[in-house]
Amino acid sequence: MRRSLSSAATVVAGLLILLDLLVVNPSLGSAAGALQELLVLLAASAAVGGSATLVARHVRHLAGASPDRIGSIVLLAGMGVVLAAGLRPGSAGASDPIVLWLVAALLVPLATALFAMLFFFLLAAARHGIEAQGREGVVMLAAAMIAVVLLLPIGGAPGDWLATAADWVRSVPLAGVFRGLLIGVAILAAVTGTRILLGVDRGSE
Amino acid sequence: MPNIGELASQFINWAVGAVGESSMRIGSVPTLVTLLIPLVVLSLVARPARRWAGSEVGALANMARAMALAAESGKDVVVSLGSAGLVRGASAAERLQTLVALPLLGHFARAAARAGVPVHVASNDPLVTFLAQGTLDESHRLTSTRERSGSSMVTYIGEGRPLAAAAALADEGGHGVVLVAGGLAEEGLMLLSGLSGSAPWSVGATASPAELAGPLLLDDGAVVGPELFQALAEVAPMAHSRTTVIAANRLIVGIVVAMLLGSLAMLAGAPDLAPFLVGR
Repeated sequence: MRRSLSSAATVVAGLLILLDLLVVNPSLGSAAGALQELLVLLAASAAVGGSATLVARHVRHLAGASPDRIGSIVLLAGMGVVLAAGLRPGSAGASDPIVLWLVAALLVPLATALFAMLFFFLLAAARHGIEAQGREGVVMLAAAMIAVVLLLPIGGAPGDWLATAADWVRSVPLAGVFRGLLIGVAILAAVTGTRILLGVDRGSE
Repeated sequence: MPNIGELASQFINWAVGAVGESSMRIGSVPTLVTLLIPLVVLSLVARPARRWAGSEVGALANMARAMALAAESGKDVVVSLGSAGLVRGASAAERLQTLVALPLLGHFARAAARAGVPVHVASNDPLVTFLAQGTLDESHRLTSTRERSGSSMVTYIGEGRPLAAAAALADEGGHGVVLVAGGLAEEGLMLLSGLSGSAPWSVGATASPAELAGPLLLDDGAVVGPELFQALAEVAPMAHSRTTVIAANRLIVGIVVAMLLGSLAMLAGAPDLAPFLVGR
């Protein structure tokens, strides 16, 4: 019974959104809008709930014998500083200059530093690929090496030839593979989306 | 208070009025085509069984053995549902991957519940956290192993895609089985490196075309591109459905070959056998 009700709710909500996409109707539009507002409310309450569980977990780490107590202290202190800056009297909330400074001076550099390591992780992944995948890994990395060589910044006639070849590789084989992947993903995403909206896949779980 | 007849009349009037005041966004024919295409595709793809392909996707068949090894060595299963989430400002295609990753999580969780292996899920989206917790609970209910549900848990690690990568890199490792499934972006390689690096068996699953290299290079099982959506059928393990699809595929190939040979024979001047075969 519980499963039937949830499946029916999925189907009704899905069809309502789908119909609103296809048909201009004020009543239908307001019903679909109400559903979307409910989703926003649900997401907001989930965010509050998630933050509360995050705080509770790290407070528990501090109270117990967790090996990463410093990490918990940093996380709770960071949350406290951002909350204090955004909620203090007279604050403009998320667009407050102090909050914006915290984001620009702390969060963005941290994320940038993390992504700067991507090159080294790529090299490590390439080594792992050759060791674990054998011939397939070698073929894949050989193709990647060819692309790198074609993109080398060389001047003169060899450079012109490499640039022409690189353009051809990008616009013919690479674009073909990407288009094929995107078309395949799009078709199966549409089918999967329809199956979810119509409740076809509910029986598997 | 209106009686039932008046209520029905009011409802019908409302429905007729609602239909009367509506108009098609893209015209009646494109609307009908848009509605018909999914139905036709569904009838072609979803029947006669849930399975779409006869071949194995992403080495998922090895999961039972990997789970048994994890149970023997006292290790756990770690799952990351990508970094796209459901309520983040990611593209719809990426968020759909998160939804598709949930049945994969259910498949792994059911196998882990049967083997007595704890499952730890990390998520950077609060809504996904609740959905993952529901999936784990449902897996224990389906396998009648509710007494083991206390050892599995879902952890909300905080908001943001770089955070998912950082949390994976800070992971202590030593897991028995690792599953990373869902939408990935630039941080995908770090997420996979951090989690899959030390596990004896790992599966990476994503349909993000720019991030396919990560699962292919780092994981034992790679479910990439459209395969992520095919894997939905793969995780419904019904042997007879696999046999049915293989048989149907062979039948289709046979019919196509017969049509081609018949056409070639007719072009070569042979008599048309079709009317004789269908009794006309």
